[in-house]
Amino acid sequence: MRIGVFVCHCGSNIAGTVDVAEVAERARHYPDVVYADDPMYTCAEPGQAAIEQAIHDYKLDGVVVASCTPRMHEPTFRRTVERAGLNPYMFEMANIREHVSWIGKDKEANTNKAAELVLMAVEKLRRNRPLSPKSFEVTKKVLIIGGGVAGIQAALDCADGGVPVILVEREATIGGKMAKLDKTFPTVDCSACILGPKMVDVAQHPLITLYAYSEVEDISGYVGNFEVKIRKKTPYVDWSKCTGCGTCTEKCPSKKTPDAFNEFMGDTTAITIAFPQAIPKKAVINAPYCRKLTSGKCGICAKVCPTGAVDYELKDEVITETVGSIVAATGYDLVDWSVYEEYGGGRYPDVITALQYERLLNASGPTGGHVVRPSDGREPRDVVFIQCVGSRDRSIGRPYCSAFCCMYTAKQAVLTKDHIPDSQSHIFYMDIRAAGKLYDEFTRRAMEEYGTNYIRGRVSAIYPDGEGRYVVMGADTLMGEPIEIKADLVVLAVGIQASAGAEKLAEKLRISYDAYGFFMESHVKLKPVETNTAGVFLAGVCQGPKDIPASVAQGSAAAAKVLDLFARPQLHSDPAIAHVDMRRCVDCGKCIRCCPFGAIEEVNMRGVNKAQVIETVCQGCGLCVATCPQGAIQLSHSTDNQILAEVNALCRF
Amino acid sequence: MPVLEGKELRIVGFLCNWCSYGGADTAGVARAGQPTDLRVIRVPCTGRVDPLFIVKALLEGADGVLVSGCHPRDCHYSVGNFYARRRLEVVREFLPVIGIDPRRFAYTWVSASEGQRWQEVVQKFTAEIHDLGPAPRLEDAKPLLRLADMALTSLHPLGTGEKAALAELKEAIKQKLPELDFVIGWQEGYDAAHTVPLFMKTPEDVDKLVWGPLNVNNPAVYLPQFKGKKVGIVVKGCDSRSIAELLQEKLINREDVTIFSIPCEGVLDMARVNTELGRYTKIDSVTMDEASVTITADGTEHRFCMTECAQGKCYGCTTPGAVIADQRFGTPVEVTPAAHTPPELAMLDAMSLEERMGFWKAQMERCLRCYACRNACPMCVCRDYCISDSREPHWMSQGESARDKLFFQTIHALHLAGRCTGCGECQRACPVGIPILALRQQIARAVGKLFGGYQSGINPEAIPPLLTYAVEEPHIHERDW
Amino acid sequence: MSKIRFVASDGLPGLAASLAKGGRRVLVPVEKPAASKPSVVFAPYEPGVKMTLAKATVPPKEAVLPECETLMTFQKSRDPADLNQTTLALTAVEEGVPTVVFACRPCDARGFAALDKPFLEGLYADPYYKARREKLTVASLTCATGCETCFCHWVGGGPTSPIGSDVLITEIEGGYVLQAMTPKGEELLEASGLPDGADKFPLAEAARKAAWASLVPAPDLTAARESLKAMFEDTAFWEAETARCLSCGACTYFCPTCYCFNITDEGEPQSPCGGRRLRSWDNCMSSLYTREASGHNPRPEKYQRMRNRVSHKFWTYPENWGPYLCSGCGRCITNCPVCLDIRAIVLDAVAAAKGKV
Repeated sequence: MRIGVFVCHCGSNIAGTVDVAEVAERARHYPDVVYADDPMYTCAEPGQAAIEQAIHDYKLDGVVVASCTPRMHEPTFRRTVERAGLNPYMFEMANIREHVSWIGKDKEANTNKAAELVLMAVEKLRRNRPLSPKSFEVTKKVLIIGGGVAGIQAALDCADGGVPVILVEREATIGGKMAKLDKTFPTVDCSACILGPKMVDVAQHPLITLYAYSEVEDISGYVGNFEVKIRKKTPYVDWSKCTGCGTCTEKCPSKKTPDAFNEFMGDTTAITIAFPQAIPKKAVINAPYCRKLTSGKCGICAKVCPTGAVDYELKDEVITETVGSIVAATGYDLVDWSVYEEYGGGRYPDVITALQYERLLNASGPTGGHVVRPSDGREPRDVVFIQCVGSRDRSIGRPYCSAFCCMYTAKQAVLTKDHIPDSQSHIFYMDIRAAGKLYDEFTRRAMEEYGTNYIRGRVSAIYPDGEGRYVVMGADTLMGEPIEIKADLVVLAVGIQASAGAEKLAEKLRISYDAYGFFMESHVKLKPVETNTAGVFLAGVCQGPKDIPASVAQGSAAAAKVLDLFARPQLHSDPAIAHVDMRRCVDCGKCIRCCPFGAIEEVNMRGVNKAQVIETVCQGCGLCVATCPQGAIQLSHSTDNQILAEVNALCRF
Repeated sequence: MPVLEGKELRIVGFLCNWCSYGGADTAGVARAGQPTDLRVIRVPCTGRVDPLFIVKALLEGADGVLVSGCHPRDCHYSVGNFYARRRLEVVREFLPVIGIDPRRFAYTWVSASEGQRWQEVVQKFTAEIHDLGPAPRLEDAKPLLRLADMALTSLHPLGTGEKAALAELKEAIKQKLPELDFVIGWQEGYDAAHTVPLFMKTPEDVDKLVWGPLNVNNPAVYLPQFKGKKVGIVVKGCDSRSIAELLQEKLINREDVTIFSIPCEGVLDMARVNTELGRYTKIDSVTMDEASVTITADGTEHRFCMTECAQGKCYGCTTPGAVIADQRFGTPVEVTPAAHTPPELAMLDAMSLEERMGFWKAQMERCLRCYACRNACPMCVCRDYCISDSREPHWMSQGESARDKLFFQTIHALHLAGRCTGCGECQRACPVGIPILALRQQIARAVGKLFGGYQSGINPEAIPPLLTYAVEEPHIHERDW
Repeated sequence: MSKIRFVASDGLPGLAASLAKGGRRVLVPVEKPAASKPSVVFAPYEPGVKMTLAKATVPPKEAVLPECETLMTFQKSRDPADLNQTTLALTAVEEGVPTVVFACRPCDARGFAALDKPFLEGLYADPYYKARREKLTVASLTCATGCETCFCHWVGGGPTSPIGSDVLITEIEGGYVLQAMTPKGEELLEASGLPDGADKFPLAEAARKAAWASLVPAPDLTAARESLKAMFEDTAFWEAETARCLSCGACTYFCPTCYCFNITDEGEPQSPCGGRRLRSWDNCMSSLYTREASGHNPRPEKYQRMRNRVSHKFWTYPENWGPYLCSGCGRCITNCPVCLDIRAIVLDAVAAAKGKV
């Protein structure tokens, strides 16, 4: 072989703590290396051009680049060597930035380590073989999980782009958290007014199939052809017959059913339609509260339903869909704020979450839009808002900022003033984070036009004053003095975390998630929509806290990724998959038993059974290789000999 | 390649591409300073990490090996790390028996977001390896020679089976023979003191069948090559376990095999018998009473008492009767279960790590790589395609170093993890008497410990523990970092 | 009359020690302790080594044909100024330490004689073998009795056969008589400084006679060659004979006359350690032995391989070189995990071929 080695300076990123010239010099003595150089920026245009030139000039048939992590630029350089006529797999990277220069200060040790990593890469490359991808057909249909605003946007963009969409929503209606909001910042326009039409578009779009009140049960297969099992939970109402007339909800005698849509700020009936603009507008029976389902006595809704849609015997249904791509848009839930004993731990009726307050402000909410105290129905005069309840708090393991609380709190202060002109809002804040178009202007208006009392400081205790009001004790850290406010109502800006069950879904999707359940994107900056599982994209808060504009933008971005994927006539499989050496195979079946993907089958070859890899199903994990005792099955690009070459390069006694 | 003398030790890392390699990148991006000893090999998944890579690295001069992958349930390939966890635990249990400090190997889970955790893992592991110092070389080990103490008590009465229902058995085989291609048993070998496997095709062949403590061979070794043929087989308890294991792995079909069994009262350790007999020109007679075999050679009588001269495996045998059989003859042998450590393993247990390395060095030096151990093993299914003499993959050199030879024994032992039934044929077959069964016994002990007392070759329906996984492993206690 | 020397019963270690002076490698049978069965191997004599006179488990073939030998080492280096210029340095390794194999048995000595023919008398002499063989002196201890698994006298040898031996050592009451059989042997005895033993030679002769007398008479193998030839195509015969064979290499690796080898390159030529070309024992009982690069294998079945082994030893080698390629040591029988008996195969072939030849 004729190998060229390029040891990147990466400006001073690598060259600062690694003697790259020395590494290149040592590389000149490695087997099969006929060229070695240390360019300033290998990934930049001149750097790539230099590689191409060297391939031509020195007749290289393999290239090693020692630079950053292959997770960053391996695809880049594979394209580079391909342009120069090499097979893209005749390329290896040595990670001397993330794994060397950035983590070690000792230049001598770093240089030696970098040189050894280059040797390992050379030894592996010497055993590389040209690989070619196989192409396969794609099911041009997308599954979108979650019908909040991000999922809705992704669904509409995909469908408008001509891609059939399966939209799965866990709740009985789409709309997500945004559907619960009264107004939205910074324009203070009606949430329902801007979201409603989009929800209707979803319902009416010919390419969108909506499964509300459904959950994804299982996902198998791969990019291009995922097989998805969806559990349609029984609403005990035949939705094909239900017209959403609401007669059942009026007659239902079980009127003390907790109202989840209203954040438990009121009661509803056991058979219910979440809200007037619900999509789909269909009734659902909340089974634990239904008299008929719990005791067998009642059945009124069935009697009053004009279309006979109520069916107490209706069972869950599991359906299977094949899709080529998946967008996860599962949103968020609130952090459990009852851990804060200083705020009453949830015992005081007039200490509520901002989302509950949103329902109080909302005209279709439990109070019809009248802001009243949950305890006695009186209009509050002094309303205290507390920010960062469960955000930026290491003590409860939530060190991150929930990103949108500062803004909605300002909005809620403004709305409070609109609803109750003689009211006074007080906001305890840590910092005001108003980085966004028109955001800072908006918080200023809340302070200046609406006279909101912003207090920089934390609240140390809330307790009832015995006369129906609450004493909010805190510190004003700007004034450097304690502060005490008598409040009629306290609204907590409770932080957010990934929605319940996100981890389980991540496992089904085979994507990573962080400690708070937020899904991991492929790259924090450069691949914020992609995941490490091909064909699975992210939209909205499931990836990390963000507000509505950002969620919508990411929904569109995810749709763009889906459309990009489906714009290709065929997809190409990664050729780094397992292959069976038929001569070595003894048909012991161990690989077949272990393969997580069912990608190995038994075939009859001239009268004897042998294992064979189904190329489009194999994902290249290599479990079979570690399982096969005789080494008959090998993973291309990660063969036993390649790994052994790396081991030998390291520790030849 | 030399490490920086005096500064660094050699630590090899196997990191999965999706989580831990990303975690190491994240640590780099965060400039999370780490010692420079570690060299990372990127693999797609921890499931790709053949445990042999770990032993190979440690035998070839790595001072430490670290494997890191996605957190359980978080595997990019769903379950690769679940399989890996089992295999890595087994290899860690195995290392000390060949004299390698198990602390030189660790595995953990680090996600792509856990840069800080990665930093901590590297710092901690590197510090631990520095505390242990450079790994000792097998070549530098001080040879140690020691013999196992074979004075043992048995879990069941040992005897010669002289009253065994041999006549009935022969009759049954003759009756069944027309339906079968042949029946495997034992016959007298080059003299009356030695038996060899017998392939019975005719009733006259059946008359050659013998039974007794001289029947040392495990006839199950032949079964896989006859898959698809109708074969009968006469078994001892231990032989039947091999059959159960072969069935479990679908290497033979149950309906093709007819199993005849007589309860076994123990077999003789032919090595000791041959030593005692010495050089002789003729066997005059072999007679048995209940407890002993008397062999007269060149006019001299030699009495072998079963309680003293049985094979090491017989003392701890809990399955004198077949675990699976179609036709059983004779009265079952009672077993009194009790804790039992095989003699060779007990001997190794009593040694320090250094002594064990010296022990194996001294033993392996006389290995000629005839591979009788491998070919006598009923569970060695690769047969003509063993990786010991392959270039593709090229695990072993043809050089004659004790290290290569010990590595072959490691290959065999690890390939037998969860599969070895302890029949001891490997050790019996070894012409130069290397006590290699101990390595397999250590694996079997580890498998029992890690997988809830699992024993190979008991239940043909069981799934071999290394070919499956559990999300929660009740018996695996992962280390805390 | 050849040179005769005498050494007292306890004098053998001293003799070995004196022979080992002057850089001579004296390979003596040593019992390896801590084995789960008696294991006697030839090891260089050193003070303190516990010598035994038992027949070795492993024959002394290693003295001329090691289990693994380095034929040469090679190192590739590159001109740093022009990386296209590479130099390959080859270093041939020719080992030839003066060696005495001491107290092997006549069957072991016959092994050397058998190896000499293909390695030295063919079209090309093997330089590695030759270097060792020329510096080898073989001093054999004659056997006092026959043995159940021994059959040296079937194949042209015997318990006191001088073939391949430079010195014959025979135990008599009170000591050993050493008789030089070749000039090399005379030289050795000359150098031994032992007293003359001609007077004790009759006792040695009597002991040798007694040894022969203890043997069970040998069957007639004259028809073996033709019989094996006749039986070659009889697959059923060979399948039945080899049914219990496990295809391991014990029979060949413990055979004093088997000489098949494999050559492999190991290591990386362009590394500090360089590459090595190794010659290591190979074994015709392994399927790999005849597997061709294409994957085709002319001997995929064990019966074919065993047929080859037996035919080589009793038919084709004799056809080419005269004697059998078997010294009757019986190690293939005792070391075989299933006690496959080459005697039985040959006799069965002779019996089965009756009427055919």
